[in-house]
Amino acid sequence: MIAEVPTIAIDMVEFLDNTSVLPDEFIAHRLGMIPLTSHDVEKFKNTRDCSCDQYCSECSVEYTLHARCDGDTPISVTSRDLVSTDSSVVPVLESADDQGILITKLAKGQELNIHCIAKKGVSKEHAKWSPCAAVGFEYDPYNKLKHTDYWFEKDPKAEWPLSDNAKEEAEKKYQTLPDGSDAPFDYNAAPDRFYFRVETVGSMKPENVVIMATRLMQEKLSTLEICLEDDQNPNANQFSNDLGDSMEPW
Amino acid sequence: MAINTKTMKKTSFNTLRRQKKAVNPNNSFEYPALQELTTPHIESFNTIWERAGSKVPPLIDLAVEDLGKRKVFDYRGNDGLGNHIEFWFEGVNLGKPAVSERDHVSSDHLVFPAECRERGITYRGKLTANFCWRVNGGPLNVETKNLGNIPVMVKSNRCNIQGMGPLELIKHKEECEEMGGYFIINGNEKIIRLLVAPKRNHVISIIRPSYKNRGPGFTQFATQIRCVQRDQTSKTLTLHYITTGQLMLRFTIRKQEYLVPIALLLKALTGATDREIFESLVQNKSDDTFVTDRVELLLRALKQYSVFSREQCLSYLGDKFRVVLGLPEDMSNVEVGSFLLSKFIMVHLDERRDKYNLLVYMIRKLYATVNGDCQVENPDSMQCQEAYMPGHIYLGIVKEKLDDYLNNIRAQVLMDVRRKPEVVDFTNKRYLQRVFQRVTVDVGRKMQYFLATGNLVSQTGMDLQQTTGFTVVAEKLNFLRYLSHFRCIHRGAFFAELKTTAVRKLLPESWGFMCPVHTPDGSPCGLLNHLTHVCRITSRIQDTTGLEEALWDLGVSPGSPTLATKSSSQLVTVQIDGRIVGFCTTEAAKDIADQLRVLKLDENSPYKIPKDLEIGYVPYSHGGQWPGLFLFSTPARFIRPVKHLSTQKEDILGPFEQVYMEIACLDEDIRPGETTHMEVHPTHMLSVVANLTPFCDFNQSPRNMYQCQMGKQTMGTPAQSLAYRCDNKLYRIQNGQTPVVRPALYDQYGVDGYPNGTNAVVAVISYTGYDMEDAMILNKSSHERGFGYGTIYKTHMYDLSEFRKHGDPITCHYGLDPNSQDHHDFIGTDGLPHVGTRLKDGDPILSYFDDIRCRYVLKRYSGEPAIVESVRLITAESGSPEQELQQVQITFRVPRSPVIGDKFSSRHGQKGVCSTKFPAIDMPFTESGIQPDVIINPHAFPSRMTIGMFVESIAGKAGALHGVAQDATPFQFSETHTAADYFGEQLRVAGFNYHGNEPMYSGITGTELYADIYIGVVYYQRLRHMVNDKYQVRTTGPVDPLTHQPIKGRKRGGGIRLGEMERDSLLAHGTAYLLQDRLMNCSDYSQAYACAGCGGLLTSIAVPSGNNVTYKGGSEMASDPSDPSSSQLLKESIGARITGQNALNNLDLTCGVCHSGDNVSLISVPQVFRYLATELTAMNIKLQLTVK
Repeated sequence: MIAEVPTIAIDMVEFLDNTSVLPDEFIAHRLGMIPLTSHDVEKFKNTRDCSCDQYCSECSVEYTLHARCDGDTPISVTSRDLVSTDSSVVPVLESADDQGILITKLAKGQELNIHCIAKKGVSKEHAKWSPCAAVGFEYDPYNKLKHTDYWFEKDPKAEWPLSDNAKEEAEKKYQTLPDGSDAPFDYNAAPDRFYFRVETVGSMKPENVVIMATRLMQEKLSTLEICLEDDQNPNANQFSNDLGDSMEPW
Repeated sequence: MAINTKTMKKTSFNTLRRQKKAVNPNNSFEYPALQELTTPHIESFNTIWERAGSKVPPLIDLAVEDLGKRKVFDYRGNDGLGNHIEFWFEGVNLGKPAVSERDHVSSDHLVFPAECRERGITYRGKLTANFCWRVNGGPLNVETKNLGNIPVMVKSNRCNIQGMGPLELIKHKEECEEMGGYFIINGNEKIIRLLVAPKRNHVISIIRPSYKNRGPGFTQFATQIRCVQRDQTSKTLTLHYITTGQLMLRFTIRKQEYLVPIALLLKALTGATDREIFESLVQNKSDDTFVTDRVELLLRALKQYSVFSREQCLSYLGDKFRVVLGLPEDMSNVEVGSFLLSKFIMVHLDERRDKYNLLVYMIRKLYATVNGDCQVENPDSMQCQEAYMPGHIYLGIVKEKLDDYLNNIRAQVLMDVRRKPEVVDFTNKRYLQRVFQRVTVDVGRKMQYFLATGNLVSQTGMDLQQTTGFTVVAEKLNFLRYLSHFRCIHRGAFFAELKTTAVRKLLPESWGFMCPVHTPDGSPCGLLNHLTHVCRITSRIQDTTGLEEALWDLGVSPGSPTLATKSSSQLVTVQIDGRIVGFCTTEAAKDIADQLRVLKLDENSPYKIPKDLEIGYVPYSHGGQWPGLFLFSTPARFIRPVKHLSTQKEDILGPFEQVYMEIACLDEDIRPGETTHMEVHPTHMLSVVANLTPFCDFNQSPRNMYQCQMGKQTMGTPAQSLAYRCDNKLYRIQNGQTPVVRPALYDQYGVDGYPNGTNAVVAVISYTGYDMEDAMILNKSSHERGFGYGTIYKTHMYDLSEFRKHGDPITCHYGLDPNSQDHHDFIGTDGLPHVGTRLKDGDPILSYFDDIRCRYVLKRYSGEPAIVESVRLITAESGSPEQELQQVQITFRVPRSPVIGDKFSSRHGQKGVCSTKFPAIDMPFTESGIQPDVIINPHAFPSRMTIGMFVESIAGKAGALHGVAQDATPFQFSETHTAADYFGEQLRVAGFNYHGNEPMYSGITGTELYADIYIGVVYYQRLRHMVNDKYQVRTTGPVDPLTHQPIKGRKRGGGIRLGEMERDSLLAHGTAYLLQDRLMNCSDYSQAYACAGCGGLLTSIAVPSGNNVTYKGGSEMASDPSDPSSSQLLKESIGARITGQNALNNLDLTCGVCHSGDNVSLISVPQVFRYLATELTAMNIKLQLTVK
């Protein structure tokens, strides 16, 4: 969910004019960090897979931003000022009266005129493509499996508050009540229930992130499966043999 | 300590208030405490030019008055001396910095500091003085003399931005909370450092074994006093004890030491009879045979000089010192003697009787020291110290330069009299004008030299112990470093070389005045100290007439005790600023001191006792410090506020009195009936920088010292007016944050304006091996989101006029070759770079046309990739704008994203190097999905004991969870109210573990880690040490021309020396090939022809094989046949002649000794070895090889 769910983020910035106090590379960095709505990320191609030369509408979205301050009070340039070529990929706004994410401020006479290209990418490459802010994860709220040795001074129960997932377990009666500490330890127990708490940056809905992540995982596993099968049956795939010949054995 | 949570100060981020102030600045300072920090510098400078006290003229007037008049004779006429001229200075004045009057272009004549910084010039004002002279006592002539432009302290009363508030300061391109206190010399900000000085006007006794070497009879005993006159120049007197019972007073005139028998001076001062001297020395202790015997010897020794009356004494002294003092010939010996007494003996006193009394006191103290009744003072203790203040040093130099001018005029006239007496005519104004003109007086240039180099060029030595290192550059590396420049005080360069470490010791006397934490480790440790944040230094001369009245009213007996004074108890003197005003009994002294303190604190008291008066009551103790009541009101004293318990008012203390006072630190320290004072807050013992370490009371003390160092090396925010700064190098962190955990003083000093780091989520865990040995793992995603991103701003001045001599016409003009299409990406048609251009090594940055070479010349950029931040066009300082542009200043911006090898540190002396950047998915994470930004190893803690970092971690975590700023002021928690509980409770409320631990999941396997992990929020600083500035790597590169070995130095692409020990190590490992590679192949590999027959390395000669080959300059060609390069040359030249033939085939190598080429073979040897062989040959030593 963090590393491989693709989103769209500004990747290239062309500065036509920048007389603001922030240097070019800093503004470019700030622009990169702005979450863009990426529900339709799948309709875009990765630039490296695309047939175009540099970028095209199939693999990228273009933005322009032109702001200039003529008044006496400084103005704020926010993500709202970005003009997109694709209405489905726009800077994320929480609500209609959300002012947007501040990019820079301009004092009188300063101008910012830029042209940005947003591309599809994954967070493995750069954190700006991460759809998630944080992914909470837990599989053993009562520490039944004793994977972790809780350190305590006087009373572990007082010092280690239970997480919300524990309540969930209790309510749904997945587990015995927490005071079942006298129960014998089950050496063979394995975690079978995983609690995820997904918080996104706004570019995608959490459920979509989870679904997409699961699908990616499935794809990966199936690829692995195919490869393993191919391995067991060396004659089946000529391609892999060719590859094997050309490579150094290790 | 019993401070409960209620008393904990509320700290807040004050985001809105700061925002409002930033958007709409007004003219009141937001952080007045910041302005306080530089007051010792500014006030001491101000008192030079404005009234130094309520009834005191400016110090410069006092100094000029002290210079006096010079008198020269022309030796014409019958009486031998002839006409005379008297001349002197009056009314020296310093103008505000302004452009010269010749400049008719500038609309505003004032020059502001920012302009000087940007231009790289000096911020200076015009020093003028009235030069007066009188011929033969005739009419007075006055001429206003221009003494040059002398540097002006920023924000002093001669500065154009003095009194401005933030709004106006910003308009003038300054920081909104500009503190001033420095000079601008050639665009650099320079500070005159505070120096520790011996306490003025106070007699201390010394035992120094080296005194024994001063001459026969000298002993180790002495008493010493540093007398400071009102213009703040000083003369030190030392009274030596000689085994014969004689006492010698030592003083210095123009760096020459003189010793005078004390009895002679006593007599010369008041004309006291032997009896009087005896009585005043013995006082009421006539049964003390130790003293009476010695006084007898003292008086008897005087008889050898055959001087009996005061006149005789003065005349004797005058006769001896006339030559040294260089006084006019018409002064009598008695007058010269009087002059000596007034200008060199006890210069802080005007009255001769006072001088006499203090000399007597010095003698008595010396006898007591010898006798063992009096403890020697420790000159390293703050009790005997004050400060040399920047303004006073500055004034001292100005005064001396003026003195030099007067002396030089005198010397000029005397030289004229000697060489060509006919031209000397005092009645002729033109002669005088010529003399005055011929002697140059550029005080400005000399002051600028002093400030630029810190070197003191002085005739007198100014009673200072060093001649160099007076000034330092106020580096704006970050705010803390800048600020601590103003707060640091150096013990003196002399002590830095001292082998003993006693001077470096932290003494209890310095409590509250000098910070025990904030001193560098290493060579300046303990010598370079920092004032505590509340410590101030007095700079005004106080009026003590009311004080004297108060003393009379409190029962002090005037005069000094004599033989006749009958008192059963010990009598002690009462001194005001080193003047003995009277005496009282020891019991009375205590009462007087107490009552005086009450009077001092009482604003309505009729005596008007200055509030910062130091009431140094030294009680009588057997063999202890010499008792007395010492009152000090002078400038340059350290002072600090404490609470007076009975009146609950703020009392101002000095280090002298503090030693004998009962000051409680905490509430429980108060002992009823004894304790009189209490500290305002325990943090008052720490400096500003030391105070900014959060929870520093939890840390092991050296760690706090390290943090003080590292805080000052952090890449932070150096200035807010970055666009107008052109320092050589500025480090800046891009995403600075305010720390969640911060001490109350953080707000007080407005450090938020200059953030120094970032709040980072830190997990203390041993994860993979990349966090071993103080390495830290950085989260790659954090890095990508901007963690620790920094920039370096480098500014360079390009000046085309440096290619020509001063005054020559301009030969170089900026411009790009119009006929060339190249370089347009970098340079505009004006020849200057485009702002925003990305540059790498070798890219062009400037283009100009050179008239002499008649072509366009490019200047290229060298160094790491950078971006042109700004280009400044600078016209000459005095030039008119019509003059063609010659000077250009370019600021480059070097982006420095954190890379592996960059240094980071928390605020607890825990520094580490980034070892790797882990992808976010591989980082461990908590149940709430938090991943650490930084991983550090738990082994960093046990031996270092930086518990403060743990506390900061949970405090930061709790603060982040609840969205509050946490107060990290030290000394708030106690055993009963622990920090762990206070913050643990906050964590528990937020649903986290009480102790700050959390179960974490491995980012690699996804399983829960066996141990729970301590994770929290810690403020991290990025230090300025970066691999990009340090890495040094080479295979081949530039070599030394003589040895062909690699050169030294990173800048020049040199190598790192593989020394003997490294060689030993490689040998021990048996890595012969590596050794060969390092010491031979990568170093000075060369090939040479050696003859196995004779073993000669240099004997082989290349001889052409064919007879038909002729070549010119044969001797030249064969100069070094063994050198492959020259033989190559030979081969080539021959080869060029004999076309179609292989040159090698035509060469025969012959050994010049064996006359045969059979044994000559090519071998590999280091170039230095061949060099050695050559050198030895030059010394007629043959080096023989055994070639197999």
